[in-house]
Amino acid sequence: MLAGVLLLIFLPPLVAKDLCKDSQDGFKVRLSIKTALGDDAYEWNESEMFLFRSTLAYAMRKQTKQDTYNITNILVCNDTQRVSFVFVVTSPDDPDQLIPKEQIEQAVRQNKHRINNAFLLSDMTLEFVGIPPTLAAPIIYDTEPWLIVFGVVIGAVAVGIVALLMSTVSKKRRAKEKAAGLSEEDEGIVKENGTALSGLGGKEGVYNQTFSNDNRFTEL
Amino acid sequence: VKLCVPPSGFIRKLPLHSCNKEARPSWDSPMQFVLACVSYAVGLGNVWRFPYLCQMHGGGGFLIPYLLMLILEGIPLFYIELAIGQKMRLGSIGAWMAISPYLGGLGIASVVTSMYLCLYYNVINAWSFWYLFHSFQSVLPWAECPVNANRTGYLEECEVASPTQYFFYRETLNISSSIDENGGLHMGQALCLLLAWIIVYLFIVRGVKSTGVVVYFTATFPYVVLIIYLIRGVTLHGAWNGVKYMFTPKLEQLVNPQTWINAATQIFFSLGLGFGSLIAFSSYNHHNNDFEKQAVIISLINSGTSVFASIVTFSIYGFKATFNYESCLERMRLLCLNAFDLSEESISAGNVTEWIHYLNITHPESFAAIASKIEHCSLEAELDTAVEGTGLAFIVYSEAIKNMPLSQLWSVLYFIMLLLLGMGSMLGNVTAIITPLADIKLLSRSLSSEILLSRCSLCLCFLLEFVRSGNYWFTIFNEYAATLSLLFIVFLEVISVCYVYGLRRFERDIEDMLGHRPNWYWKVMWAAVSPLLLFSLFIFYIINYIQGGTPTYQAWDKDLVRSAIKRKHIY
Repeated sequence: MLAGVLLLIFLPPLVAKDLCKDSQDGFKVRLSIKTALGDDAYEWNESEMFLFRSTLAYAMRKQTKQDTYNITNILVCNDTQRVSFVFVVTSPDDPDQLIPKEQIEQAVRQNKHRINNAFLLSDMTLEFVGIPPTLAAPIIYDTEPWLIVFGVVIGAVAVGIVALLMSTVSKKRRAKEKAAGLSEEDEGIVKENGTALSGLGGKEGVYNQTFSNDNRFTEL
Repeated sequence: VKLCVPPSGFIRKLPLHSCNKEARPSWDSPMQFVLACVSYAVGLGNVWRFPYLCQMHGGGGFLIPYLLMLILEGIPLFYIELAIGQKMRLGSIGAWMAISPYLGGLGIASVVTSMYLCLYYNVINAWSFWYLFHSFQSVLPWAECPVNANRTGYLEECEVASPTQYFFYRETLNISSSIDENGGLHMGQALCLLLAWIIVYLFIVRGVKSTGVVVYFTATFPYVVLIIYLIRGVTLHGAWNGVKYMFTPKLEQLVNPQTWINAATQIFFSLGLGFGSLIAFSSYNHHNNDFEKQAVIISLINSGTSVFASIVTFSIYGFKATFNYESCLERMRLLCLNAFDLSEESISAGNVTEWIHYLNITHPESFAAIASKIEHCSLEAELDTAVEGTGLAFIVYSEAIKNMPLSQLWSVLYFIMLLLLGMGSMLGNVTAIITPLADIKLLSRSLSSEILLSRCSLCLCFLLEFVRSGNYWFTIFNEYAATLSLLFIVFLEVISVCYVYGLRRFERDIEDMLGHRPNWYWKVMWAAVSPLLLFSLFIFYIINYIQGGTPTYQAWDKDLVRSAIKRKHIY
């Protein structure tokens, strides 16, 4: 009688362990808390395991859209010092039936981000052996950033070329004007009354050699 | 007022004397000339070839043959080119023809070699632009592999190689698997090359006036960046390993003749002799410019920069090697932890190797399962991987940069420096082509001819370089375009000056320009030592080429994801 009662009490966990240990539908999980967090690392204990089981139950709920998943549906075994263990998920309707691997994989992949954040870990430090991580999608730009910088630089270069051309053109124009203007200036110098001086527009005036102090030609 | 005496003898018959309606343009100050030569001589070779040679030939000990060769051949040959240019006041063709009409071919050879160099050298500037433009992103594109189609992992080609190699070979070059497969054009690269050529054109468009202003920047800014990098480099974790490794002299390398040959060739090519650029630059000098002092200063600056750049490179090497070594240890640690389910605190990076031994002894069966993944982590092996050339500049350096904090800033600085070094050398080479051709009236110095010239070069470049096999063409040009011909050209230059023109006449010309005759050191070097050295180098190269059999090149194998050796076809 007592033996029967004892068997009844200890049977479920024994069966549960068997379900977990022998099963093909389980996944091995590995956490690297010290690597990820260094000095801020938390201790892995029963409460953390509780959190893990509840996040997995949450993931199953979200994926199957059934609110019947509970923490008792997540069975864990093979705990090691590494902080790695194996888990299986039982169906909420029948505790002896396991959820197939593919479904668990899908559930985990869809909610990996939430599971990672619950433990302050990343895809590298919280590994589900056999489930590849979903990497962030590459950023798609409307215009590649390098084209923008290229555009800026080549715009500056184009401005430089235009400035160069304009300076050449204006230099040629000035040279032409100077050649044409010289002939006019010759006529202006001949007139030495007020009109000519005002016509010279601010220059120093005309050098009248009669009053020069230049002894260049009269040295003895 | 510059007194213009029409030159006598042969030159009067040729349409190239400079006593024309326009006086020859000249540098605004001797400082511009010195900076132009520094900008030309200090180029990419100082950054990517010298550190490699230093590492290959015994670290600090390599400085002995290097400095010896500088004294025996570097400075004397540099002096000769400056003297000829300043005396004849003509580019390379005119200058050599003034010595003897039969030597015109020497000048033409210089111009053709410069043309070859221009064709492929600007490609490096295009790559620098490409990397520079891609540095303006929050995550550097060569820092991470791109994700594969169903987002479960990274692209395979990138996983097996490294992200930096993938970015260089696949995204920058989109390289084909052999030189025979042309592939298509790479538009991004073509645009960058176009930009590079337009900028070179802008720099030389006004001749010496524009070049003289530009060299103030291209000669000095690389030093600013090198100093910043030096400070950043030596403060990096593990940098000291690299510098220590480099400077420990391994004097047994000095008995290896290859060391001496490499020192001689490095000095020779680093100074940029034989291209005609130095003749062209000094032809714009005043008649009495003190080029003797300038020759010594510029050569010493060039060598000093090589040594300085190699300190920077080795601190970066040390950082990268230490980073890789520590990553390797970390990988091994994880491997052991995961295979044996040990607690994370049991193995630290320091005792990984002891643990591996211990686990091998205590659990041989389980260890055998992971034995294939065990790598032997060694810092020396990482430091020993010496790289030179574009691999160093674009792969190794970018790998180191992506691991630095604030990597975008360092990346931008580094590639601007590479650009300025490359542009400075391009200026010299393009001047080496334009000056002699303008002197013999093949081109006028005005705007329109420059447009023509640049456009032609552009077209040629497009044809060759931006097909997907472009990098292989680049390698061919890099190895063969200039090496043998330059040795021959400079050898003939020295012989012509000493024996055809006459050493006595040359001495008198120098006395006329400088006010004193060159002393015995110069004369001994020019008449005997340098020609002998050059001749033996030339013979050595020929023997090497003949003995080398069918030439081979490194091709990127897409399937094996590494470089493999392929044979070149001889056409």
